[in-house]
Amino acid sequence: MMILIFISVIMGSSWNILGGFTGQYSVGHAAYFGVGAYTTMVLLQFKQVAPWIGIWAGAGAALVTALVIGSICFRLRGPYFVLASIAVAEIFRVSALNLKNLTNGAEGVLVTEIPPLMIGETMVTDWVSKVPFYYTSLAFALLIILVTWLVRISKLGYLFLAIREDQDAAHSLGINLTAYKNTALSISAVFTSLAGSVYAVYVGFIDPSTVLALDLSVQIVMICIIGGIGTILGPVIGALVLVPLSEALRSNLITDALIKAGIVNEESPVGAFLKEHLAHAHVLIYGILVVVVILFMPEGVLGFIKKLGARKAKAA
Amino acid sequence: MAILEIRHVSKFFGGLAANSDVSFDVPEGTVVGLIGPNGAGKTTLFNCITGYYPPSKGEIVFNGRRMNGLKPDKVCKLGMVRTWQKVRPLTNLSVLDNVMVGALCRTNSVNEARGIALGQLRIVRLQNKTNLLAGTLPIGERKRLEVARVLATKPKLLLLDEVMGGLNPAESEEIIQLILDTRREGITQMVIEHDMKAIMRLSDRIVVLNSGEKLAEGSPKEIIENSAVIEAYLGAEQ
Repeated sequence: MMILIFISVIMGSSWNILGGFTGQYSVGHAAYFGVGAYTTMVLLQFKQVAPWIGIWAGAGAALVTALVIGSICFRLRGPYFVLASIAVAEIFRVSALNLKNLTNGAEGVLVTEIPPLMIGETMVTDWVSKVPFYYTSLAFALLIILVTWLVRISKLGYLFLAIREDQDAAHSLGINLTAYKNTALSISAVFTSLAGSVYAVYVGFIDPSTVLALDLSVQIVMICIIGGIGTILGPVIGALVLVPLSEALRSNLITDALIKAGIVNEESPVGAFLKEHLAHAHVLIYGILVVVVILFMPEGVLGFIKKLGARKAKAA
Repeated sequence: MAILEIRHVSKFFGGLAANSDVSFDVPEGTVVGLIGPNGAGKTTLFNCITGYYPPSKGEIVFNGRRMNGLKPDKVCKLGMVRTWQKVRPLTNLSVLDNVMVGALCRTNSVNEARGIALGQLRIVRLQNKTNLLAGTLPIGERKRLEVARVLATKPKLLLLDEVMGGLNPAESEEIIQLILDTRREGITQMVIEHDMKAIMRLSDRIVVLNSGEKLAEGSPKEIIENSAVIEAYLGAEQ
């Protein structure tokens, strides 16, 4: 599960550079996730290119995709940009479904063998255990946090924030909107594709309805909303909250916990009902929780904690 | 020497002429006032000059260079920058960050930008508010922040769109002093203003627009005595 958390951190943080700093809410980041995942997997499975090379090919593909999409979509503002980003991601999903020669269509791509990573004669890893994935995803997660921090304190960060706050004012102060929006999108897309590639090789199977789905795009945005948009650590917190939460709901850990705590009796009708049905309703509960968070912590968990801190400071 | 030449500029929105055949020069180092009743096309002219709209006809020449079709960011880099009638602070950024964004137009170093920004904030006397969010400032301070932000881009020509609108007399006086100080530093300015007393004091020359056309141009004294101007503002005598 830590691997999934790290991958979520990468996705959330890269979205945050575009959405949180530059204020361009893309709800189509699955496109870049999918481009990365597909490039890596197709190269690996059909061309026998090792994933640690394919992953960079995926990043390159995502960069090109981002520049093309950005040049077109950044002509639009606000809600129109959001809609365009959704449309673009859907185009990618439908294309992946139909370009059967390249992507295997709806059947997806299954990796049968990953070549072991060798440095010289020594084998670093054979990718059988989860350990190498753990460190790879951790390394990328730390890298994106570092990049986010560097962006935030640099000139780039100031210009991004200015664009977020007021595009016209930023424009009048000498900021080339299209160029800087594209820069933000490029950074964002490259890291999202890295997340996609790591995910794909880790799980070993991808298909359009998982790595190019609208659900995924929304989930990426969710990580940031829950954690706190536009903050460096927000996406980290978002991932730490959301991934375990969705896993717990899916495997019905809540009912187990309630039963163990003695609040609900397993034999009672309530307990039996929960045990039977709660897991099926995990999306529903997940949705309700998200709504609650948005209602009561509009600035995310991080913003909420800050506010609590400020209130305490005031009281003291 | 004219730093800015407006030559036969027209701007049409559909069939409506917001500016038609406006021509005048802005001499270097002066303050030129742009006045006119509501809807005269003053802000539209500003938008054309700074690249927000391409003029439908005519030419805008800045420092000997044709500006038609240049985007606002390019215009700013060339040394012409405007403020907004309705102030546009970057609300969720600090006062200092706001001015730094302006300063970053000329430098790549964040530290250098911080230095420039602190200097400009001292000039507009906001040096004690640097860490407040720009959105929390009252209107008078927001207007001063806006001026500091555009000055930080080191402009040659400053276009001020009603920087005194909604201010009390004391606050207006501060802005007037600021404009005069800026002029002393050799920065040319074009000022849209409704406060006649202020504009007469500030301007070396005044251009009057009415219904999109240039009605009159001259020294403040000539404008006060111009019967066409009086008619446009007060209506004709029966």
